[in-house]
Amino acid sequence: MAHAGARGDSIFGGLALAATAFVLLVLAGIALSTLIGGWPAFARFGASFVARTAWDPVQRDFGALVPIYGTIVTAVLSMLLAVPIAFGIAIFLTEVAPRPLAGPISAAIELLAGIPSIIYGMWGLFVFVPFMADWVDPWLAASLGRLPVLGALFSGPPLGLGMLTAGIILGVMVVPFVAAVMRDVFTLVPSALRESAFALGATRWEVVWHVVLPYTRTAVVGGIFLGLGRALGETMAVTFVLGNAHDFNLSLLAPSTSIAAAIANEFTEADSATYLSALIALGFILFVVTFIVLVFAKLLLLRLARQAGR
Amino acid sequence: MRQQMVPGGGPEAAARSAPAAVPEAGPRVSIEALDFYYGETQALRGITLALPERQVTGMIGPSGCGKSTLLRVLNRMYDLYPNQRASGRVLMDGENIIGPDVDVNALRRRVGMVFQRPTPFPMSIYENIAFGVRLHERLSRAEMDERVEWSLTRAALWEEVKDRLRNAAGGLSGGQQQRLCIARSIAVRPEVILLDEPTSALDPISTLRIEELIDELKRDFTIAIVTHNMQQAARVADQVAFFYLGELVEAGPSAQIFTAPHERRTQEYITGRFG
Repeated sequence: MAHAGARGDSIFGGLALAATAFVLLVLAGIALSTLIGGWPAFARFGASFVARTAWDPVQRDFGALVPIYGTIVTAVLSMLLAVPIAFGIAIFLTEVAPRPLAGPISAAIELLAGIPSIIYGMWGLFVFVPFMADWVDPWLAASLGRLPVLGALFSGPPLGLGMLTAGIILGVMVVPFVAAVMRDVFTLVPSALRESAFALGATRWEVVWHVVLPYTRTAVVGGIFLGLGRALGETMAVTFVLGNAHDFNLSLLAPSTSIAAAIANEFTEADSATYLSALIALGFILFVVTFIVLVFAKLLLLRLARQAGR
Repeated sequence: MRQQMVPGGGPEAAARSAPAAVPEAGPRVSIEALDFYYGETQALRGITLALPERQVTGMIGPSGCGKSTLLRVLNRMYDLYPNQRASGRVLMDGENIIGPDVDVNALRRRVGMVFQRPTPFPMSIYENIAFGVRLHERLSRAEMDERVEWSLTRAALWEEVKDRLRNAAGGLSGGQQQRLCIARSIAVRPEVILLDEPTSALDPISTLRIEELIDELKRDFTIAIVTHNMQQAARVADQVAFFYLGELVEAGPSAQIFTAPHERRTQEYITGRFG
């Protein structure tokens, strides 16, 4: 007779497999249905759908370049802002802050993650956009905007709405996620490893930069890409402050749109099959962009591992 | 490659490399009336002990007796933790190293430490050594290569790793990793090396190699080793200090401690009656 636990073991194994299969099934289902829903648009405009800037519901002429560009630029801007801040927070909490202080600060940062994105959107539109329009945009246009090549990124009227504003708001939104991951993995570094570096006469900064960070790099990069994933897909806050304009403009100060914002804004207005299909196709593209980002993250990690290893 | 010379060390290093068979060596470190506290708990009580220059001091005693704590005082490792504090004096070259004005990073260059488990940094074998050196000195590429080879040779690891210096240190065996940690410590040219149960996680062969290494290193360095292994203390130590409940029960030449201890508690511990 078989061991009594063997049966339970196989049941448990089956359940775990089913849970995994469920996720993969949902993933495949969503990918497939957005592909099918967006197929008319892909069929009509061909592969150039992703490279066209047209977005004319009246003429039923659609291209995805502006939302793709807006999505990527705002997400990248947000990470440029969020990663250094999150790194600073994580170092402060794990290496610098006295223990009684670290707890409350951690809690406060986690609260930041709990703020609904619609609140960020409203705050962004009513408080931050006017601030950007009155102070930051004019200043940027007058300083960086005058530079020869870089200037193109900071030109245009100071509307306040635009990719820079959206990127900053997104950055604030993803800071708590990235910081939480970094903090958690920093605390997992064995104290003997940390002490070994201190024992050689390293300063706190040298220990963090040369030992803690390399030791945790896989998880840190993972945390950064988790934040990037959120920034790519964030809808509500971006919709409020991005301007929702389908005009291609290189300038970060110009209104633009993102994939998620375009879908959320225009779904109810999609009055033709082509329009609807173009929006669903956008959804599929967001899927692909996120997937590419993840693959890129994996490749980056492999390269880092090779550099450390070989 | 001159193996026993400290590269670039000049006359001082040459003097240190002289035969160390001086029985009455002066103390490199003098601990005087040292008390140590973890918060409210007193872990060391009035410790007075000298570490003779270029000799091995073995620290023995049951778990929790304070011997590891004492090591962590000598390189101010306790500074990392806000609730820990020491009082008394620990003199090195006449300077009280537990005083408030000491440059802790500079002190830790002079007093190296090797931990219970190997702690290779997440980088290559070469970088593991170069990392510590770069914290304190600016060396040219060639000088750094020479320093890395010198320290790995001193740690009896060079022959095993010379063809894979760019490989990750994590790929070495446990015994090799521990010798790498020793190499890393001596690469910054310390005066004192603290070994906190350096072989407790290693197999007997690796343990033997480390013990031979300690014997070899004491020609240049003053060594303090904490060990739970009485035979190890007898094999490697010139002087043995027995700790019990935060107090130094007795210290003396290792032959005397193991054959004719003055204190009954020492006698009981080394004969295995407790601990």
